[in-house]
Amino acid sequence: MLEAINLSKSYAGHQALTDLNLSVASGEVYCLLGANGAGKTTTINLFMGFIAPTAGKVLVNDLDVNAEPQATKKHLAYIPENLKLYPNLTGLENLDFFCGLAAKKYSKQELEELLEQSGLQPEFIHSRVGTYSKGMRQKVGIALARAREAKVLLLDEPTSGLDPQASNEFSELLHSLRGKGVATLMATHDLFRAKDTGTHIGIMNEGKLKHSLAADSISLSELEDLYLETMRMDKTQLA
Amino acid sequence: MIRKIALKEFKENLREGRFRVSLVIVVSLLLMATWLSLNYFNSVQQQHAEAKANARNIWVSQDEKNPHSAAHYGTYAFKPKYPLSLVDPGVDKYSGISIFLEAHKRNESQYMAAADQTGLARFGDLTPDFILLFIIPLLIILMGYNAFTRENEQGTLQLLKGQGISSWKLAMGKWGGIFIPVFIITAALFLVAGVLLTSLSDFGELSYDALLLMFLVYLCYYTVFINLSLLVSGLMKKSGISLVSLLVIWILVCLALPKASSNLADTIYPYPSRQAFASEVEKDKKAGLDGHNPWSQAAKDFERETLEKYGVDSLHHLPFNFDGYRMQKGEEHEAQVYFKHYEHLKETHNQQTKVYQASALLSPFLPTRFLSMALARTDYGTHWDFADAAENYRLKLQESLNMNFAENSSYGDWAYKADKSLWTEMPDFSYTPPKLGAVVERNSSNFALLFLWLVVSFGGLRTVTRRI
Repeated sequence: MLEAINLSKSYAGHQALTDLNLSVASGEVYCLLGANGAGKTTTINLFMGFIAPTAGKVLVNDLDVNAEPQATKKHLAYIPENLKLYPNLTGLENLDFFCGLAAKKYSKQELEELLEQSGLQPEFIHSRVGTYSKGMRQKVGIALARAREAKVLLLDEPTSGLDPQASNEFSELLHSLRGKGVATLMATHDLFRAKDTGTHIGIMNEGKLKHSLAADSISLSELEDLYLETMRMDKTQLA
Repeated sequence: MIRKIALKEFKENLREGRFRVSLVIVVSLLLMATWLSLNYFNSVQQQHAEAKANARNIWVSQDEKNPHSAAHYGTYAFKPKYPLSLVDPGVDKYSGISIFLEAHKRNESQYMAAADQTGLARFGDLTPDFILLFIIPLLIILMGYNAFTRENEQGTLQLLKGQGISSWKLAMGKWGGIFIPVFIITAALFLVAGVLLTSLSDFGELSYDALLLMFLVYLCYYTVFINLSLLVSGLMKKSGISLVSLLVIWILVCLALPKASSNLADTIYPYPSRQAFASEVEKDKKAGLDGHNPWSQAAKDFERETLEKYGVDSLHHLPFNFDGYRMQKGEEHEAQVYFKHYEHLKETHNQQTKVYQASALLSPFLPTRFLSMALARTDYGTHWDFADAAENYRLKLQESLNMNFAENSSYGDWAYKADKSLWTEMPDFSYTPPKLGAVVERNSSNFALLFLWLVVSFGGLRTVTRRI
């Protein structure tokens, strides 16, 4: 479903991503771990087609993202780290609008249910998004991802700003989507969440994928050690 | 998808206090302007009707007198108010409302409304065309300046693009979001104008075709402004810079360029001064036959030619009064002189118009301004048309009077008096403004320029949206 082939990206001389090879199949959840600036968001942006690669290819459902940007987006749902919505519209109106753009038709009641199932309190559904917290906006984003019924989910720090209960509900959502054959690529700092929801885990640093392993092949404490070791190793190399 | 975006944009705008306040101001100004114009035109129309009736009454109430004396006594030709002047009064205020028709002389129109106003008139009048031409484009700028910059600034652009929407569809949706309220406001104004004009009594014949065409012209003008607003918003990174850029464009397009092109046209193709014009006319008149001067060389030559033509040796033996005949021939010579000099003025006007049209390549305001006035029959073209119609009427009136004198009296019989019934037999002046087809044909270049602006602005928008 998702495939990066020798993917590289540089910005004005700075190498943000180097020679990334990655694939996420149907029903897999691939969690990208790494510190800030490791290249996680750049990877997501390349899969979304927001930026063009310097070298390599990005494929979504065997379609080249840069050659067929509109067609690939039909298969994608995306939740950024800090989801921005239209502040003068209500949560329901925002969801209705974005669903409409994705050619998904829902009744008002269905949209309300989607928002409630995504953890948004019913009393806020008809409030303007300008009054929402970051976590509440993320919940609208989750509702949108569910409504899109996409085959591929790209998530950039999706639980950032969510309360623990909402984060757990989100993990449950990912589990259920996995069962429906959705391929998910999630960038996160949260090792626990990665181990809990991921089928595969990648550790990135300085634009390179240092480790890629099956989630069930490693315990949480081993993952933590590997992560810290990868970070330390690179810092040592840098020194 | 485009409809969805357009409705979202419209809804968002409606929920913004800044837009609501602007909308209330624009609608209030439009209502006030329409009400003021209606009152003004009712009053002017009544005055015109009274003045016209009085002038006719004075003409037909003349006692028995020599027809040429009646020709000198003169009468007036009144320019009728065209119904659409309620929307666009054009140059009516400066071009005068009536022309005094008398023997031997083609007079300028007089009684300009501007002459009756104080220095405060310099601030201009609140008329519907002012709102349509200047204020609604400002409203468009207010709605469109942040169409794309806002998406960038509030971070919604990525989510939008993430839904697989093309930039062009996004732009068209935003275009629709601005066009909907502009269409509603403009349509409401023209609807109100149509209803008001239909309900007015004695307000001339209203052409709904012209009203509809004027509405379409303004919609094209607003479309250009919507395109420009979206184009600039797509080019700029910050909303503030986009707003300032668009306001600069508005100032240049609506204020600076029209004034600059007016000065330029007048500098390149100046009109002669009133004194120089009168002096040239007088010189040419003196070079030909003067009906009142039987001793001039031209009069002597004409006398000899007439005697030869009729095969008689004395003016007394002619089958008509030679004095009346000479008056008519003198009138015809003077008419030719006036025709020549007025044609020169028209040629200068046409040259100036070409300068305006060249400037219109930089300003969509200019073709819209000219089309609006032309469709309202309040432009200079219509004024020239009226002046020519009045001159033709004057010449026919003079011919009738002179020939009555020539055919009903004998040479030297200056005591001849025509019956009072002659004044009534002369039909009153009646003027019909050019038909819509003629107006459209005369302004085809302005239509072409506005269309060019539409095409270029859509092309520019398309190019810019590819980068979004």
